[in-house]
Amino acid sequence: MVPPGDVPVPVLLAVDGRRLGQVEQHDTLAARNSRLAPGDLLTLRVRRSEITAGGDVYQEFRVPYQKWMRVLDALNWIAENAAPDLAFRWFCGSKMCGTCAVRMNGREVLACWEAVEPNMVIEPLRNLPVVRDLVVDRTRYEEKVASLQPWIERHEPYAGFPEPLTHKQMKNASKALDCISCMCCYSACPVIGLGNLTDFAGPAPLVQLGQTALDPRSNPQKVRRSIELTGIFNCVSCYKCEEACPAHIPIVSGVIEPLKAKAAQLNPEMARHSFALRDIVARRGRVDPGELVLRVQGLRGLRNLTRLWRLFARRKIDPIKTLLGIKTSAAGAAARLLGGGAGKP
Amino acid sequence: MQVITTDVAVIGGGAAGCYAALNLAERGIKPLIICKGLVGKSGASLFAGNLVISGRALGNSEENARNTAEFLIKYHNQFLIDQKWAQRCGQWIEKVYYPELEEAGLYFRRDDSGEVVTSPGKIRSIAANVQGNSGVPFMDLRRKQVIKAGIARMEETVATSLLSNGDGSVAGVFCLNTITGEYTAVIARAVILATGYSDRLHTRSTGTREMSADGIAMAWRLGATLVNMEMQWWHTNDLAHPPCWQRMQIYPNPMLGSEKSARMLNSAGEEFFNQQQDDPLAFGPYTVQLKALVKQIRAGKAHYEGGYYAGFDHCDAAEVETYTTYGKTFRQLGLPFPATLAETAVSSHYRQGGIDVDTSTMRSSIPGLYAAGGVGGHSNGLIGLATYDGRVVAEGVAKDIATARISSVPQAQIEAECRRLDRLRASSGDGSSPCRLKEQLRAVMWEKVGVEKNASDLKSALDDIERIRLELLPGMKISNTARTVNYEWLDAIDLVNMVDVCELVIHSSLERKESRGPFIRQDFPLTDNDNWLAANVLRKSGNGMKFEKRPYDLPLFAPGFSRKDNLEVSW
Repeated sequence: MVPPGDVPVPVLLAVDGRRLGQVEQHDTLAARNSRLAPGDLLTLRVRRSEITAGGDVYQEFRVPYQKWMRVLDALNWIAENAAPDLAFRWFCGSKMCGTCAVRMNGREVLACWEAVEPNMVIEPLRNLPVVRDLVVDRTRYEEKVASLQPWIERHEPYAGFPEPLTHKQMKNASKALDCISCMCCYSACPVIGLGNLTDFAGPAPLVQLGQTALDPRSNPQKVRRSIELTGIFNCVSCYKCEEACPAHIPIVSGVIEPLKAKAAQLNPEMARHSFALRDIVARRGRVDPGELVLRVQGLRGLRNLTRLWRLFARRKIDPIKTLLGIKTSAAGAAARLLGGGAGKP
Repeated sequence: MQVITTDVAVIGGGAAGCYAALNLAERGIKPLIICKGLVGKSGASLFAGNLVISGRALGNSEENARNTAEFLIKYHNQFLIDQKWAQRCGQWIEKVYYPELEEAGLYFRRDDSGEVVTSPGKIRSIAANVQGNSGVPFMDLRRKQVIKAGIARMEETVATSLLSNGDGSVAGVFCLNTITGEYTAVIARAVILATGYSDRLHTRSTGTREMSADGIAMAWRLGATLVNMEMQWWHTNDLAHPPCWQRMQIYPNPMLGSEKSARMLNSAGEEFFNQQQDDPLAFGPYTVQLKALVKQIRAGKAHYEGGYYAGFDHCDAAEVETYTTYGKTFRQLGLPFPATLAETAVSSHYRQGGIDVDTSTMRSSIPGLYAAGGVGGHSNGLIGLATYDGRVVAEGVAKDIATARISSVPQAQIEAECRRLDRLRASSGDGSSPCRLKEQLRAVMWEKVGVEKNASDLKSALDDIERIRLELLPGMKISNTARTVNYEWLDAIDLVNMVDVCELVIHSSLERKESRGPFIRQDFPLTDNDNWLAANVLRKSGNGMKFEKRPYDLPLFAPGFSRKDNLEVSW
């Protein structure tokens, strides 16, 4: 193995949030391709479904490194040499089909695209049922996408090839078009991880919808009907999806946020929470959780007395300030920046 | 085991299969797509880098239009093509294909002023969103069109054999769901094979995981006539490492919005190929590159597994990356881009040959069996051609279907196929796993049926394959007999098909006694238009096979010479 210090540190050409800290830790893509020499043994612990009666186990394999080896190459080596019955799905092997995603050391990766590490724990994606070993059932995702009807319905007749269109108009949609529906984001999403507590469609279906909903050729009424099925405002903008995306799609900033803006414009009721929050900050200079809950949930928000008491005891809510609408010292600045109470539905 | 009935079984979910199904559904004929992978996410169609603008579309001149036709007939097919079919196809692509795709929502890359971005040059192309990735949004659109049209799909389902009626016509297809392990017999009035161009028959191959020549093997077993099975493209500049990137190409085609193309250097650092300089008419210059590489290899300055390099070190990063994905492989390896070249190697690519069809209907020699796209033996290499086939086959099926009856369920064949598959799953010999045997077979093909062929190696490969068939296959061992997601079982099913088709490729290679384009015989180095400007037709006879030659008509373009050293022929 090449000691980390011997690896040349490349110049970062552009700031990429995903790569922050990697140079300092000698964990750049260049370093990964040179720290192992052909023949060095990698250790893989692969999650297997019930190969014995006792339930899932992590089976350990030692795999010889091949030049610039990908995770998929290691899995293929295992299938050929150690465990021919290891179930893992792949078709294209070169980041086109998006079917080989797995979790490697706790993060979602496309097996065909990701460099191997000396020690790897390989697990199936989260948030989808496992069929066997590393193979997940994609049905839940496919059904959601189909329900969103992610195709173009035009509001104006087609003008003939080539129709008038600029790349500027297509900027966000074209980023979404890089999606290979590999489900990395779907597995990484903590809101999807909550299960049925929300009706959130998840990042991957939203990217699929964004391909046409952010296309200026789409009929806005059709877009509205589709967005209404997504529970999009359950997205907490944590950027886990964006971090996981092997296609480098700006899922939050370039797809979900523009879709939220579209939803707010086409069906303001969907964005009630966002509008209320903005209005409170604009009027009073900071968020008042009490007012926010009252305005979003109405009197339903008062039902859970235990929760109210806890919030009050921890000084998260202050009924007096809420009722009197007391402003903070930042109210003036907030009003200037956000334009007072404008934007209220 | 279930039996289902449909009008038409379409096997394959790529460009040809999807378009055939969509066209059939529009005509009120009920299709069922059976796809070994996921519809629109498997096979070669995803790999369409860019889309050739043909005819007079987008400001093309008469000369551009003629160049495109010449390129297709000469460089893509070395004159082994029905030129009238190519002409019909070109006209359809110009008038129907592009408007229809755009109307359905496909985004052809524009610049900020709204102009469609093209590659300059003698033949021009455009991209769906990004060059190098056009197949992905293209096929994603098809997937969604199929869903929107309500067309039934059986995905991750492998067709294992064709079912036939007493009169020899096709009755349907037997298949296995690779996820659940369930068997289904599909009874249909017509079967369309659309299983694609490329198969993983060599150690290095552009064919994807699921491509194991199933379509050709099934058709051959039923007695379909094949053609030009020896004619095989090669990629000369796929990444040499890592192993699974063996189909990741450093595209040699002209770049969108730039006058430049990738260049290739030998081990001595000498440039030996650059499409824009060496042969601007060779728009997809695979064969021309291959000949250039063979000369380097013979001079000891490269080898088929690597030792030569390709890249864009003569370009600015922005010039390459504004409209193409070509930088992504370099960047993912941490190679400074575009300053670094990557080591490249050869991979077997599309097969030009395949099932012999009537190009006006896509009928095969078996009644009720049709072939569309790459599995056919009539053309090669563009997603537009495969799509056109989808339309022609729908027309062909529509003509015949009124008189085609729904067959009675061929119970005996179904039971025999269940037994065959069950036996494969229960393989309990003391030999190798199917996965390893596959690699062994691929290695034979790579070493003895590679770019440069000769009779002695080809015969030796036949002996090796005979041994795999008679000794190793019966002794194969499957370690897990589960039905669900058993890729070991699938490997065994694939392997039987691959063994059959590899043999047909070798016999066909022995039969063509000349060199032509990417088909290089060391013992017959001349391109021989006097004797071999002809289809190498392969028919089943009894338990054996027989070959016959069928000359091609040359209504539009002709080679203009009789015999010449293939390596000196420009195409």
